[in-house]
Parts: sequence; C-alpha cells; structure tokens
Amino acid sequence: MVNVEEIRDYAANLLGKGEVKSVLGFRRGSASAFAEPCTITDVGEAASLVWDPTCLNNLTLYLVKDHKQQAAAKTPDNRPVGIVAKGCDSRAIGVLLQENYFKREDVVVIGVSCEGTGVVDPRKLSAKLKGRTASRVSFYGADGINVRVYGEETETVIPAQEVLADRCLECRAAIPTLNDIVFGEAVGAREFDEPFHAAKAAESLSADERWATWEHHFDRCLRCFACRAVCPMCYCPECVVDSTTFVVTLGTSAEEKANRIRWCERSANTSESAVYHLTRAIHLAGRCIDCGECERVCPVNIPLRLLNTKLEKEAFEMFEYQAGHDIEQASLLSSFRDEDPNSFIR
Amino acid sequence: MEKILNQEKLREWVDMLDDCEVYAPAFADSVWNYARVEAGTDIDLSHTNTIGSVKEFVFPQREVFFRFEKKDGVPVLTATLPDPKPTVVFGVRPCDGRGMPRNDTVFNKEFEDPYYWARRDKLTLVGLACNQPHSPNCFCQSVGGSPHSEDGLDILMTDLGDRFHVKGITVKGVEAMERGRDAFGAVRDGDQAETEKVHDTSRSHPQRPLGNLDAIPEAIRESFDSPLWADMAQHCIGCGICTFLCPTCHCFDINDEVISPTTGEGERVRTWDNCQFPDFTMHTSGHNPRADLGSRLRQRVSHKFLYFVENHKTQQCTGCGRCITECPVGIDIVAVLERVSQS
Amino acid sequence: MTDNIYLPKIGRIVGIDEETQGARAIKTFKVEFPNDDGFEHDCGQCAMLSMFGKGESMISIASSPLVKEYKQFSIMKMGRVTSAFHAAKIGDFIGIRGPYGNQFPLDDWKGRDLVFIGGGVGLAPIWPVIQTAVARREDFGKITVFYGARSSSDIMYETDFEKLKASAEVQLSVDAPEEDWQGYTGFVPANLMDKAPSPDNAIAITCGPPIMIKFVIQNLQALGFADEQIYTTIENKMKCGVGKCGRCNVGKDYVCVKGPVYSWSELRSLPQEY
Repeated sequence: MVNVEEIRDYAANLLGKGEVKSVLGFRRGSASAFAEPCTITDVGEAASLVWDPTCLNNLTLYLVKDHKQQAAAKTPDNRPVGIVAKGCDSRAIGVLLQENYFKREDVVVIGVSCEGTGVVDPRKLSAKLKGRTASRVSFYGADGINVRVYGEETETVIPAQEVLADRCLECRAAIPTLNDIVFGEAVGAREFDEPFHAAKAAESLSADERWATWEHHFDRCLRCFACRAVCPMCYCPECVVDSTTFVVTLGTSAEEKANRIRWCERSANTSESAVYHLTRAIHLAGRCIDCGECERVCPVNIPLRLLNTKLEKEAFEMFEYQAGHDIEQASLLSSFRDEDPNSFIR
Repeated sequence: MEKILNQEKLREWVDMLDDCEVYAPAFADSVWNYARVEAGTDIDLSHTNTIGSVKEFVFPQREVFFRFEKKDGVPVLTATLPDPKPTVVFGVRPCDGRGMPRNDTVFNKEFEDPYYWARRDKLTLVGLACNQPHSPNCFCQSVGGSPHSEDGLDILMTDLGDRFHVKGITVKGVEAMERGRDAFGAVRDGDQAETEKVHDTSRSHPQRPLGNLDAIPEAIRESFDSPLWADMAQHCIGCGICTFLCPTCHCFDINDEVISPTTGEGERVRTWDNCQFPDFTMHTSGHNPRADLGSRLRQRVSHKFLYFVENHKTQQCTGCGRCITECPVGIDIVAVLERVSQS
Repeated sequence: MTDNIYLPKIGRIVGIDEETQGARAIKTFKVEFPNDDGFEHDCGQCAMLSMFGKGESMISIASSPLVKEYKQFSIMKMGRVTSAFHAAKIGDFIGIRGPYGNQFPLDDWKGRDLVFIGGGVGLAPIWPVIQTAVARREDFGKITVFYGARSSSDIMYETDFEKLKASAEVQLSVDAPEEDWQGYTGFVPANLMDKAPSPDNAIAITCGPPIMIKFVIQNLQALGFADEQIYTTIENKMKCGVGKCGRCNVGKDYVCVKGPVYSWSELRSLPQEY
C-alpha cells in the first residue's frame, strides 16, 4: 500500500534541499472527483499531494512543457524537475530519454506503484452511471470502488475490474522501471487481461466491420486536438496536420508559408479526421507507451487507444519491442537488427 | 399555451412531427448526445446534459459558404445557403436554451449571418426543465438563469413523473404543440401547483456560487496584468474542449478547400475555431498578441464575463458546467473567477 | 445575394506596381469591379481580398475615397494569400468584400495641421488620408508627411511622393545610409524629433511596424502632442471581417468593426493585445 505521507515527505525533502525546482504531482481539485495535476515549488505545498486511482494524468506531459518553456526563456531555469510517476508515466520519460529529448539528470522520478489497482477510466464509469457524474470516487483495494453519484445519498460499490482503465487491466509493468525511488510494492503483469487484449478483440472483426466502426468514430471527432495536446510524445513544435506554419521566425520566407502542404483540412469530417488520427497513430508507432491519455480526454469517447496499441502490438510481435521499457535500447524506428523480419533490411 | 402530456403519449407527439427532422438525446459511446429520431421510436429524456450543445444545430462544425470554380477564366461563385427541413430538438436543457439568444446576438449584430439564420429560423427548441442539477459543476442560477428558464426555448417541458407539463413559449413552440393536439390533455387542478413545486425544489438545490456577478467585470479588468492567469493556466494543455462544448462559444475559422487543383474548383468553408489554440491570433509575421496559455485563458474568461458584458449587458456563459467537467486537467471557470475576484 | 456577408464580389486587377523588391516585396494593385457592383469607402477602411483556393486576407484600401474608378491595395508578400497576389497578373480576378471598419475623422480635423508619420508598408493605411487631405487642401493647415524605409529602393509610392511635394512638406528617411541619399538617415522616430513638428492645432497620424509606432507615440508626446491629437491604426489576424469570428478583438472591440483607426486616448484604455 502506497503511503502518501512518504511521497509528501520525499517531495518536501527534494524541494527543501533545492535538488529540484518543482515537483509535478496530483492534488484534489474543484472540478471533479478525479485528482488534478499540480506543480509545487514550496515545501509547504507538498502536504497537498495525493496519490490514489483517481490520479489519471500522465504528468510527463509537463516535463515536455517545461522543457519547451525553458528553451524559449531568456533566462532558462534548467534545474531538475521532480515528478510523481506511475509505471506508464515513467515509460513516457523513458521514450523521451531514448529520443534525447532531455537528459536523465533533468528529472527526479518519484515512482509510485499502481500495486493491485491501476486508475479508474472515467468513460467506463460514465457508462455505468449512464452519464451521471460521480461526486466522490474512493478505492479500498482491488475489489471495488466506492462511488457517490452526484445527487444521491448513498454510495455505490462497483467491481474494480468493470471501471478500471483498459490499459491498467492489460498492464505488464505496473511499477516504474525508471525511477529514483519507488513507493509501493513491485507488481509486474496484471492477472486481469492479457496484453493487447482490446486490440486482439478488435482484430477479430472483418475489415469492413472495422472500417464501419472507425468511420463512425472519425465522423464524431470534434477536432479539439485534446488527444494530441495531452500526449507527451506529441512534442513536435509544429504538427504535420496543422494547416498553417506554426513556428514563424523573421527568417521564415513567404514561400515557405505559402507552399506549406495542407495534409489535413480543418473541416471536421470523416475523411479529414481519419487523416488526422491515422497520421498521429503512425507517428506514435513504437513510441506509444499506452498511458491511454488520448482516449481519456476525448470528449466524445473515441477509442483512440486501440489505434495506438494495435501498432504497439505489431512492434512487440515483430520486433519484441516495448516503447520506453529500456532506455539503453535504440528507439524502434531509428534502428534495425539483422534478424528483423522485413526483407528490405538485408 | 400550457398542456399536459402523459409519458406514454410522448412518442405520439413526436410521430406527428413527421415532416420535421426530430432530434433527441441518446446515450451512445458512453455519452449523451443529440441523435436523429426515426419515426416510430421512443425517445429517452432521462439524460443529464448532452456533451455537445444545441449550438451545433445553428452553427455546425463545418459550413460551406460557397463553391468557387472558373468558367472561361472568370471565377463563378455559388452560395450554398442551407435550406434545412424544419427541425425540432427535444430535451434541451435550459442552460443551453439560454445560450441561443446570446448566439443570436453575435450572428445578428452589425452584420446578419445568413447561414446561421437559415438554420435558426427552422429550429424549434423543446426544453426540459432540470428537476435537480446534473452535476456538481452546474451553476445556471449563479449566472442569472434557472433550472426552468424559458429564455431561448420555444417550449418548456417539466417532468412530473408520469406526465409532463408542457408550455408553449413562442409562436413556433405553440405550433409544434398544436401539431400533436390529440396527444395532449388539458392542465387540471393541481398540475400547475405541482409544476411550480418541482421548479421550486429544483431551484433550492445548492449550486456553485459566483459571488457578486456585477463585481466580476471590474475584477477581471483589474487582474489583466496579474501573474494569476499564467498560474491558473499552468496545466492547461491548450486543447479545444472547453470552447467546442460551450453553448455560447462561436469563434470560427474560414478556409478555402480545393476540390480540384486542375480546374481550381473548391469550397470556402467555415469551421469551429478556438481561442485556446496558439495559431488563433498569430499574425502571418509570427507575432502573436496572445502568445501564451495564460493570456488565452484570460481571453476565454474575459470574453464571457467582461467583454460580452460590456458589449451586450449580459454574461456569455449560462452555467452549464461542461468546460469544467470535461477539462482534462481540472481547469474550473468558477474557481478561476473566484480567484480573480479575491485577488 | 447582396445580403450574404461572406460572398465576395468579383474584382479584376487592372494595374500592378512593384513598389519594393526582396523577400518581403510590396506590390500595389489597382482593382476594378467588372460587374459594376463596387462599393464606396472612407479613409482608413479595409477590404477582405480573396484568391480563390488560397483564402482571404484583410487589406487596407490605399486609394482615396475620391477615386471612384478603382480601389488600390498595397500588399506585402508574407504568406499564402499575399504570395498568390504577388504571383497574379494584370487581368486576373480576385474576390473582394467590404468596406470594413471605421474611418479617420477627417472632417473633424478641418483647419488643423496634419502630421503623417509612416514606416514601411504602414504607409498604405494612411495614404488615402494624405491623398484626400491634399485634394481638399484648403480645408487644412500645414501638411507634413514623414516616411521611412529601410533603403531608398524600399520607398513606396515614389513617383506620388514627388507630386505630393507641391502641396505638403515631405520628410523621407532611410535606415541604412546610402551614398547618394539626400534625405535623413536614421529611424522614423528620430527624424520626427529632428524636425520637431509643432503640436499646436495639429493632428498626428501614424502607422508602421509596432515598434516604430511605439517610439513615434513616445516622441509625439515628448513634442507636446496630447493623446487626443494622435491617431494610429492597428491590425490583428482577421477571418470574417464582420465582428463574429472572434480573433481580432482587443478587449471588447472587434478591430474589424470598431477599428482599425484609434486615437491614442482610445487605444490607451484597451488591453495591449495587438
């Protein structure tokens, strides 16, 4: 059992000794029963840190944000950042290290084990409650979660497996392998669902059925870009699907802006949204660490994780590659081995 | 016009609107959203609020303004003004209803928007009063609305358990009720009192307070240069959820989409846009008047609670709470206004 | 279809002047309305110009309202739409919507001295005011036009400046010193201080790069110009031109409707989001 006091003490200690400029963690927010991300810079704020299965976000995103901010700052503050990291969050850090996005010494990983649980999937919970809001979500072990539905007096107990995120049910490493310290017991593979369970289920459908499914989903896409905005791997300063040149300096020529190819129009229709999502999925192949954030934030619940885990399944089955598991390993798409199955490599 | 409609007669009324396109909330993909109602099917009005707002019926995510092509070297433009069938939307929550007059103002002032009005004129909104708030983030009463507000609605239905109290508010609404004449019964003794009781009970549920609404514009004005905005936007990911789901956010982009590069044929298209995107205000030169997330959060909040008030004497927010509930990182406009007011 | 605010009229390019060369070249386009459906405009107003398939851009109308036969636009090559304009030839068709925005209150300035201060392509928005003031020469006192460019080859409306000298004092400057340059060498704000026009019964009208406007206004204030005597135009990214799309606002004002012309006393009260 993770004792949150230990996390608070550790964070306070890091800040107190000046070993980090800030600690990324979770706190209770005003918006919902789920925890919200926070950045603490004072020792005193460490007391507000929380850790439980409502801590959904992949905080690695904010390491990327900080990296970008410091790169643009006139007087950058390049001191390390502490981060409360779940297994999936630490794999995201791993990928960023593999890609030399920042250096190992730039980050202090305060690992937390998800132990027997994982995190709650708000869309599964919403399905259970038929759209009603949970005003309180608490967790007493692996068996069930207690949910207080807004407007009701009593709490409902829902079997955990029915509302835990798919990624947690399939998780193979519920403990941060990349860490400076870990709180909680080491837990390996889950006994709930086999890895790539959801992707395998989708594969059993015919091509026509699969296309009909995705046509339905792409048609619903609002193009709010929350899936891209929340992804720690989507750190490109300028995205291929943006219709305008984003990063403009004095040296950017009119021709460069005028000739930018519009791979994807802004119109949120099936074809343009398909281009957007498929392009994004391909760019994440061998890089997605299955934090499921894209799927969690989607306001219309497009099962985006399926697209990414399908590609991760390919990466695993063909190359025995798991993104972010081993920072010493070269990243999948920038390396090859003699025994790779593709003939063109030889 | 006020009538009583038994629960089992709802379908009868809907079926009698057979030359209209009828929409009602439906729970699919784990969310409530408006869906087309085919004749002869039941509608389920047990919804909380829909994820998308009714603005989508008048301000769709994609609107083609006109087609362009070249004939003998001369551009020929063909306007594509929508000509929809009369459309009736059931189950509109009063907060969304209140969004409509605000949108009307935007698409009317100075220049009338023919695309908006072509849809708006054909639209009938059948509201459903909220018997209790759906979410801890409801704050309609804090911005001058109520769970049974008639503002912007053509009809207001109130759920009395086995039956609905149905009130025709506008000419369009009364007409829609007259279409279903036989389905309705007369309001009997006690129905009126019961309706009022349901409304009173609903209003008595506590909602998130905004404090003194009249003092908010000044508080925002004074906080313009405050570091508070950057602090509150620290975890903002700059996505479009808050504005796209908002019943009053109406900002848009206009682009040309080329269909055939050889003939030069294409369409000029309006799409939703969002003040939280970095390119929203970026000049071609690269200069950006709102270059950071803090200034963009400030813009969203200021537009709703300061600029719109200055221009139109009312908030551009109806307290539906979607932007709070759906924000991936917990940015909460009520908490934001609270902090701004206290600073 | 006249009610459709988004449907452009068809314009035809009847003249192209290459004002300046280089990466950010400026060309001036004369545009006529072949379908006789043109519109009248006031000094300071803008129009949405289209290149179909590329998009629309808000461009200030650089010709005087007194000129009825055509409208003139000076366009710097910056992005997708403006590059398409730079590739256009005489006889090409464009789309045009407008006129949009407010105007310089020229009638309120009767009997006063006018000091114009322009820099770069920022001369275009104030050029119609200069032309109209000169055409109504007896209505105004002394007219002075300051204009600065990077080099002498970057000076816009060069031949028109020669004509202008008959009715106004012209103060040209270049940033980079050149061998045969007769005028002032240095930035526009410095030239302004050097010549020190009197604020008495005068109105100053300035437009140029934001940094130039900033220092011009500081220097005008140093010379004794009150905030109400200083006018400028601001620009922001625009899409609709009709106060709806939401991106050009500065505080409560949509610049496309309430702007682009502001006195410094008005502008000072708005947030600095431009």
